[in-house]
Amino acid sequence: MNHKLLAGLGILGLVAGASVLAQQKKEIVFWHIQSSEPGLSLVKKQVDRYMAANPDVNVQVVPIQNDAYKTKIKVAMGAGQGPCVFATWGGGPLFEYVKANQIIDLTSLLNENNYKNRFLSASFSAITFNNKIYGVPVEGVSISIFYYNKQMFAKLGLQEPATIAQLVSTANTLKKNGIVPFSLANKTKWTGSMYFMYLVDRMGGARTFINAATRANGGSFQNPVFIRAGKMLQDWVKAGYFNEGFNGLDYDSGQSRGLLYAGKAAMELMGNWSTSIMRSENPAFATNVGIFPFPAMRAGGPAGNVVGTVGDNYYHIASNCKHQKESFEMIKFLIDDQAVTERGAAGRIPPVKSFKPTDPDLKNIVELVNNAPGTQLWYDQYLAPELGEAHKDTTQALMGLTMTPEQAAKIMEDTAKRLAGK
Amino acid sequence: MTRVKPKNEYALTAIVFLAPTVLLLLVFVVYPILESVRLSFTRWTGLGQSQVYVGWSNWLRLLQDMVFWKALGNNLILALLSILIQLPIALALALMLDKGGRAMRFLKLAYFIPLLVSSVAIGFLFKYIYDPNFGLLNAVLNGVGLNNLAKSWLGDPSLALYAVLAVICWQFIPFHMLIFQAALASMPAELHDAALIDGATENQFFWRITLPLLQGTIRTAVVLSLIGSLRYFDLIYVLTGGGPSGSTELMATYMYKQAFSSFNFGYGSTVAVALILVVLLISGVVLSLTKRFQTEV
Repeated sequence: MNHKLLAGLGILGLVAGASVLAQQKKEIVFWHIQSSEPGLSLVKKQVDRYMAANPDVNVQVVPIQNDAYKTKIKVAMGAGQGPCVFATWGGGPLFEYVKANQIIDLTSLLNENNYKNRFLSASFSAITFNNKIYGVPVEGVSISIFYYNKQMFAKLGLQEPATIAQLVSTANTLKKNGIVPFSLANKTKWTGSMYFMYLVDRMGGARTFINAATRANGGSFQNPVFIRAGKMLQDWVKAGYFNEGFNGLDYDSGQSRGLLYAGKAAMELMGNWSTSIMRSENPAFATNVGIFPFPAMRAGGPAGNVVGTVGDNYYHIASNCKHQKESFEMIKFLIDDQAVTERGAAGRIPPVKSFKPTDPDLKNIVELVNNAPGTQLWYDQYLAPELGEAHKDTTQALMGLTMTPEQAAKIMEDTAKRLAGK
Repeated sequence: MTRVKPKNEYALTAIVFLAPTVLLLLVFVVYPILESVRLSFTRWTGLGQSQVYVGWSNWLRLLQDMVFWKALGNNLILALLSILIQLPIALALALMLDKGGRAMRFLKLAYFIPLLVSSVAIGFLFKYIYDPNFGLLNAVLNGVGLNNLAKSWLGDPSLALYAVLAVICWQFIPFHMLIFQAALASMPAELHDAALIDGATENQFFWRITLPLLQGTIRTAVVLSLIGSLRYFDLIYVLTGGGPSGSTELMATYMYKQAFSSFNFGYGSTVAVALILVVLLISGVVLSLTKRFQTEV
């Protein structure tokens, strides 16, 4: 008797569980990576406004930390359990979602009432495939620029370098004075990649990379430009322009900024998100920081592209989302006029034409983007994921002097060929 | 007259109470492993329904993949050095704590602490300790005049693996110490008394009695350390990410990179299955070898 009772209880325990509540409201699940302030409330406020205007919709906002997100979104989408609306960085990895029919084409929705014209045209380049647009640019402008210690430059009589030759002589002067010219934390790998991308652009123009990546016009990763860029980068490492042990330091833990703050290093090539990070980490130092673009090859020559993304993060709508129209309306709230005002006030650069920054630093960056002939998307985002990883691995090895530029170029070219053959 | 309960009544109860565990094991252990084996024969980005059966081509690629072999080599170095370094130190500490009695209570607690800290926290801690510019380690070395020994621990491909290994030892010695302590505590005190009465020295007692009695425990510790080292992931991921230049790449970090960063879920599964096979093979060999050479006590 006892056993029967126990068994019965056990079965009950197994069966008892999910009692499904009737859902009256339309549910939209929204994943993003603005997990720290001010991003967190910038998103939340707009979503709240949307829900107030659309009481029949309930948006469940899930902020996720950057690195965890990359794994989580992939597992969720792979299992068909993904959110309705989610963020990406565009480029090669996004294209994988498109190929797997996981996200919807937003071209017609963006063309309605010319909504698309609201945005900077460069902001669509990383989310357009076969002339179809798969996302909405929202979060901001991220470009790579040199940050430098203004006081230090003034004390040593240094100017913002306008050519690579000047950059090298600036580095030599700093080195002579016992200061590390470039602060770098390259465990993260995309950090060192910024130098490589700019050197390739300055030496060979934008087409060298695009041709190699798209396998068009005889493009190849073994193009001499890649090898020359790698050689110059290695020369800089050998000359001691970078801090010691950079390949073991972690950008996300602030190990490169520490060198700048302590006055041990003078410059860092970094995304313009650094401005807001420095302002919150070290406000006193932030007032003493200047920026300049990666120098041109020679005086009077073409200025070259900026490397970065305009509009990143982008928001996308999953194909299995039940409320696609509502989701798109919700995304619109994230970047409407009120959102743009709030974003500007928080130090962000919304990728819309109407935005006129008042902050001098932001103004500089916006001018840089507007004056550049084009934007080169980060290689690791532009390329197919496996090739992007190969680029980061080979560049780290190149800078660690454990691989020659020729070897690195061969690995890139072999990987590109293998992927193209698939 | 006593009524004998029918056997199947117990069986039903047993099934009901075992069911949740068996179900959980099936869903979260057996099924994923079988699914990984299946995926190891496909090309799949991990998204959507685009799985393509590719036969043995992933496995052929694995055999020629220098990064995988390098990772396997690193795993073996890690396993060997972990056992050679961790177990003797753990045993020595356990003996000391066992002999010390009440006086050692504070140390017992203190030595245990690394085991309580999560790997990620330890990773961050040592990231700063190893920092070549601001780190504690180099500051101490420079402070005592050993400037030549101050290195960029995690940035130098020839040092990084050993720098990580040191942290792993620091993390896991307490665990093995705990196992040995438990074994020592369960040893009857009469053995010691009897041996001393028979004229054995402390030294002889350790080598002739304590150590042979610990055989089983040592074998457990070796196997645990071995399996742990072969599947190691978290601290490497936080400290070096497998770099620089692949010098600390392990099978598990390589699997993660292939599956999640390079969108090669098929090939990543191949690496995962290879990892399981390697662990099964090596731990099987070690277990049977240690059994064969076991001495009767």
